[in-house]
Amino acid sequence: MPKVKLYGNLRRYSQSPTLDVPGRNVAETLATLCAQNDDLYEAILQDGKLKPHIRVMLAGRDVELAQGLDTPVGDEDILAIFPPIAGGSSHRRS
Amino acid sequence: MEGWSGKILEVNLSTGGTETHALDTDMARLFLGGRGLGARLLWDLVGPEVEPLSPGNVLIFAAGPLTASGSQTSNRFSVSTKSPLTGTILDANSGGWWGMQFKRTGHDALIVRGRAERPVMIAITPEGVSIQDAAHLWGKTVSETTRLLGQNNNKRNVLCIGPAGENLSRMAAIMNDGTRSLARGGPGAVMGSKNLKAIVVVGDQKNQAEDRERFQFMLYETGKLIKASPLTSQALPEFGTSVVMNVVNEIGALPTRNFRQSQFEGAEAISGERMTDTILVRKQACWACPIACTRVTKTERAEGEGPEYESTWALGAQCGIDDLEAIAEANYLCNDLGLDTISTGSTIGCAMEMAERGLLDSDLRFGRADLLLGTIRSIAYREDLGDQLAEGSYRFAEAYGVPELSMSAKKLEMPAYDPRGMQGQGLLYATSNRGACHMRGNMLGPEVLALPRLIDRLATQGKAGIVAVHQNTAAVVDSLVLCKFTNLAVAEEFFARTLTAVTGVPFTGDDLQQVGERVWNLERLYNLREGFTRADDTLPDRMLKEPIKEGPSAGFTVQLEPMLEEYYQFRGWDSQGVPRPAKLKQLSLDELVLQAEGAGR
Repeated sequence: MPKVKLYGNLRRYSQSPTLDVPGRNVAETLATLCAQNDDLYEAILQDGKLKPHIRVMLAGRDVELAQGLDTPVGDEDILAIFPPIAGGSSHRRS
Repeated sequence: MEGWSGKILEVNLSTGGTETHALDTDMARLFLGGRGLGARLLWDLVGPEVEPLSPGNVLIFAAGPLTASGSQTSNRFSVSTKSPLTGTILDANSGGWWGMQFKRTGHDALIVRGRAERPVMIAITPEGVSIQDAAHLWGKTVSETTRLLGQNNNKRNVLCIGPAGENLSRMAAIMNDGTRSLARGGPGAVMGSKNLKAIVVVGDQKNQAEDRERFQFMLYETGKLIKASPLTSQALPEFGTSVVMNVVNEIGALPTRNFRQSQFEGAEAISGERMTDTILVRKQACWACPIACTRVTKTERAEGEGPEYESTWALGAQCGIDDLEAIAEANYLCNDLGLDTISTGSTIGCAMEMAERGLLDSDLRFGRADLLLGTIRSIAYREDLGDQLAEGSYRFAEAYGVPELSMSAKKLEMPAYDPRGMQGQGLLYATSNRGACHMRGNMLGPEVLALPRLIDRLATQGKAGIVAVHQNTAAVVDSLVLCKFTNLAVAEEFFARTLTAVTGVPFTGDDLQQVGERVWNLERLYNLREGFTRADDTLPDRMLKEPIKEGPSAGFTVQLEPMLEEYYQFRGWDSQGVPRPAKLKQLSLDELVLQAEGAGR
């Protein structure tokens, strides 16, 4: 079964930072993850899409550069979900 | 013209003389202040014949037109000099309170020349400018010196060096307000070489905006943006800068054990999340900052400020250490002795690899947290092996015949991102004017955090232009001078409108981008004049030839050459990295170069 790892303030919505969550793709996995957790849904998703600044990584690659929410997820995969984060340096707003 | 005080103070420690000059208003418009003004002044004052630790070098402390205006994060200032670590042009900037207080003394910049015969300090107060005996302070730590000189955040602010600067460590920082640092490139050693222990400032003047009504409006609008952004209103205040530890590790770009690996099994143990759960005591903000990213932490044995992400990495993953309390204490000690945490940690990591490979007779080994504090002390006081480590990782490794084990570019230690897993970051390190640096722009935003939008971190095509624009932006923010974190929420157009309100001089976002480009090109010209060439725009062999072995970035090296070609073209430079005449003319730098060439003849 795929694993989901939560980071930053997303951990406050879960008893464990690492969870076993079934799903064949990112969308299904996130749907299952948030099915019983309205706070987590609110933090990650909006109208079924990822909220701005939420990053989801599969094997260290951002799923946005794969097939987004349709990216397939295997039984051994780990999905890492990051809330809006910044630090360590400069960034550019525009 | 408001915003600028209109005065530059010059103190000659060799003669004991002090003078005040008028600020050239054209220079102010072209270079603003801080880093830009410092680079412009340094161009005239310090040529290739000057050794960095000789009396001929200068220290230029510079505020910007927004400093002390009350605009969000308008607390910062910079120091410019020729670096004793890299030999390049150097500026380092810092927050806290000192910059605001210095501006309130009625000066835009302070130029320190010469060398005092014995330890001295400079005091700039409403009563005047004086050079005072500081023999009683020599040898004291940063915290002792700061306390003895009466640090009082909003009234009287202290900038000083610690033992590392006195002992001319090329990794020595200048510290202000006790715990803030002008860290990189060894400016503390330049201050030590001048026998200058401290600068105390007390100001009584205000930086009032030309158009106060418009300024108040911009203050309100900027505040709304900072509050609305989850980055500046949640992420940074809640977890501090170390919150990026886990994401950098997740993508396989967290340099580990002197960049031999790119993922650290102990990343979670030293992350911002763990810090918040364990040693965090409270958050703290610099003057006029609504973000409050600073951490005050406490271990069983000590309490202090930090560690920031880069420091946590350098004293942690880079050394194979996952003991957060040990890292925090090492960070406190670096601050108190006046050392750059990044270069110090990275140099220790380099020595650990050399010792493990049998190239160095030392007990240092990856993971030996118990040796951190002693090694740091030995560097600051130049004792035993520390005397060699104090030279920085490149000179240290070179002395043992293995300079390739120094993870540096232009002899400045690389910070906490493995460029093999972030190709644009590799180009950024290689072309950074002060050596490998994450504060001259940073590709973490576009390559990892999707700020402002996501690009493929492992691709190379098209990276050059993005890197250059980020470098220009960093240069102008450093010249205003503001904290780069405001740029997470606030676009440059807003900075331009605030600058217009404060100074009365019309600026647009495009104007600011051009200021940044001008500063970048002038710094490039300075380094070329020093003898740097295209061959110096490079990275350690490990980055170019040794693919990452495991993890999400496995198989990658930095594909530097094609990016460098594209970068020079984008910059308007020739194939050797020399700015073309048309570019210099566009940036109003052509006459400067012609004058220098004329003087040279």
